[in-house]
Amino acid sequence: MEPIIHLKDVSMVYGGNGTRTTALAGISFDVLQGEYLVITGESGAGKSTMLTILGGLQVPTEGAVRIGGSDLSALPADGLADFRRKTIGFVFQAYHLLPYLTARENVMVPMSPERVPPREKEERANDLLASVGLAGKEDRLPSQLSGGESQRVAIARALVHDPPVLLADEPTGNLDSATGEQILDLFSGWHGRGKTVLMVTHNKANLSRATRSIRLRDGQVEEDRLLQSFSAEPAAV
Amino acid sequence: MNIRKLAWKNLLRRKSRAVFTGLGIFLGIATFVAISSITSQMEGAVQDQLDRFGANIVVSPRAEQLSLGFGNMTLGGTEVTYSRLTMADKERIASIHHKDRIRSIVPFLVTAADASGKNLVWMGLPAADVAGARPWWKIQGGMGLKRGEVLLGAEAAALLDKGAGGTVTAGKRLFRVAGVLQPTGEKEDGMVIADIADVQALAKRPGAVTYFEVAALCKNCPVEQIVAQIGQALPGARVSAIRQVVESRKAAVEQLRRLGFGVSAIVLLIGGLMVLVTVMGGVQERTREIGVLRAVGFRKRSIFSLLFWETGWVSLLSSLLGAGTGIAVAYIASPVFGIEHPSVVFSPAIFGAVAGLSLGLIGAIPPARRAAALSPTEAIRSL
Ligand SMILES: Nc1ncnc2c1ncn2[C@@H]1O[C@H](COP(=O)(O)OP(=O)(O)OP(=O)(O)O)[C@@H](O)[C@H]1O
Ligand SMILES: [Mg+2]
Repeated sequence: MEPIIHLKDVSMVYGGNGTRTTALAGISFDVLQGEYLVITGESGAGKSTMLTILGGLQVPTEGAVRIGGSDLSALPADGLADFRRKTIGFVFQAYHLLPYLTARENVMVPMSPERVPPREKEERANDLLASVGLAGKEDRLPSQLSGGESQRVAIARALVHDPPVLLADEPTGNLDSATGEQILDLFSGWHGRGKTVLMVTHNKANLSRATRSIRLRDGQVEEDRLLQSFSAEPAAV
Repeated sequence: MNIRKLAWKNLLRRKSRAVFTGLGIFLGIATFVAISSITSQMEGAVQDQLDRFGANIVVSPRAEQLSLGFGNMTLGGTEVTYSRLTMADKERIASIHHKDRIRSIVPFLVTAADASGKNLVWMGLPAADVAGARPWWKIQGGMGLKRGEVLLGAEAAALLDKGAGGTVTAGKRLFRVAGVLQPTGEKEDGMVIADIADVQALAKRPGAVTYFEVAALCKNCPVEQIVAQIGQALPGARVSAIRQVVESRKAAVEQLRRLGFGVSAIVLLIGGLMVLVTVMGGVQERTREIGVLRAVGFRKRSIFSLLFWETGWVSLLSSLLGAGTGIAVAYIASPVFGIEHPSVVFSPAIFGAVAGLSLGLIGAIPPARRAAALSPTEAIRSL
């Protein structure tokens, strides 16, 4: 089975003149479709760097990255943007909603460059908000939402183009553990529907939901562990 | 939700920034529109005068002043007229090469004569030509001039204490006052106006003419040629084109207009720079937001058009507002510039609105490019 994510000898060195930081020092691993991969490691180990490379937000200084059949280093800027839109759903620790837009509008943001009838965009956003348990709160501004609710909006936004891969950088980092559990339930739900999930986390409790864990240390894979078997086929929705 | 709407929402969120961004454009366009509509109305007023003053060529005898130690005094026999004009000269003027361009030739005879015991200046012209030659006269008493009648200038009427229906004696003759002119601010205020034949009889100079007013059909007409041809036809006459006088006034208006353009250009330039600076500042402030948009798959072009639309909205609104304000200011201020009947001139407003919009958009290009070029990771680093 062709892996959906393929990393080969990926290195990332930041800076040029003076200070050079090696964030990633030759990382290689494959991820199969339907895996739920948890990435752990100490602060500064290179977790976020790896996630941004996987998300096509930056290109590694060395090595090859193939995701969903695209060689990221070969893609032009627009190609990378399209890749991010179609293949990747990003969820951040700090939600990063646009504060002046309602929940519905925030979910519609990734669709705004597209020539789709506004009604369709709205319906899509409403459906997604309902699926993350926010029906009835579509018209609220982020300031009128709790942290957990904001993260749900961010998840709905990440899912708007139905990407096969979800990348989450400490999505529960700002939430209390009960709320965090609800967010993790959502990820588990989407994983159950066939999405490949890569989640950076400090929380050991998250390991119980994952199928695999990778621990980074000083920019290298220190440990790569299979936690449980997973279904390679999308389960029935 | 589309880019346009996203831009709009962003503006509403930062209203004071948006206002500041648009301020320069607003002021520039308002100045431009106000000044150009005032100058174009002034130009219209000058043109109006030109048209109203039906005649644009005056034919008078060549005269030389005697040096009798009176300096520049021109009244009372200090002029020696070498050649006199007569009614017959009208035919000569009417037969020049460009005769088809001549609308009317009106002879005038001006002379000092007795009027009810006072020595006043009489101005004679064919009674039937009064309306055509002096269309701006407002005559109280309202009747047209006929032979045997006079019109009194406002001061002359006051001096003689006569009104419409009264009579004025001159020598042994009796003239009925057909009407009194409302003050014009010109010399005729002190004059008695009568049919030229009556004035010729009064002056005992039959057929005499002091000057002719010639009205050429004149939009882009060859005034110089007509002047030259009349000069040839009447070698003893001095032929002058009044138009040139008016033209110099137009030139003054033109200078004012240029000054206005200069001022608006500077204000607009500053406005454009203000757009550039504020939008550029906005880009820095919004690095993270732009990073998020890039992360969710916005192409560079979409970021560019987002900023472009934001500035577009601001420029559009401030240009329209500036154009409207300019029109209003021009309207309110027009009496100060001697415009009697202010009107709304739309062309500078339209031009101004378009110019403001384009300027705003041009000012938005550098920051929009910068935003589009922003590396998503640089932005995401704060994530
Ligand atoms: N844009 C950058 N320029 C320079 N150095 C960077 C940049 N981004 C990250 N680094 C450095 O690279 C290393 C890895 O950073 P990274 O953010 O990937 O760590 P992390 O594992 O996500 O840490 P944390 O758990 O604190 O989020 C760190 O030493 C960091 O200082
Ligand atoms: Mg990190």
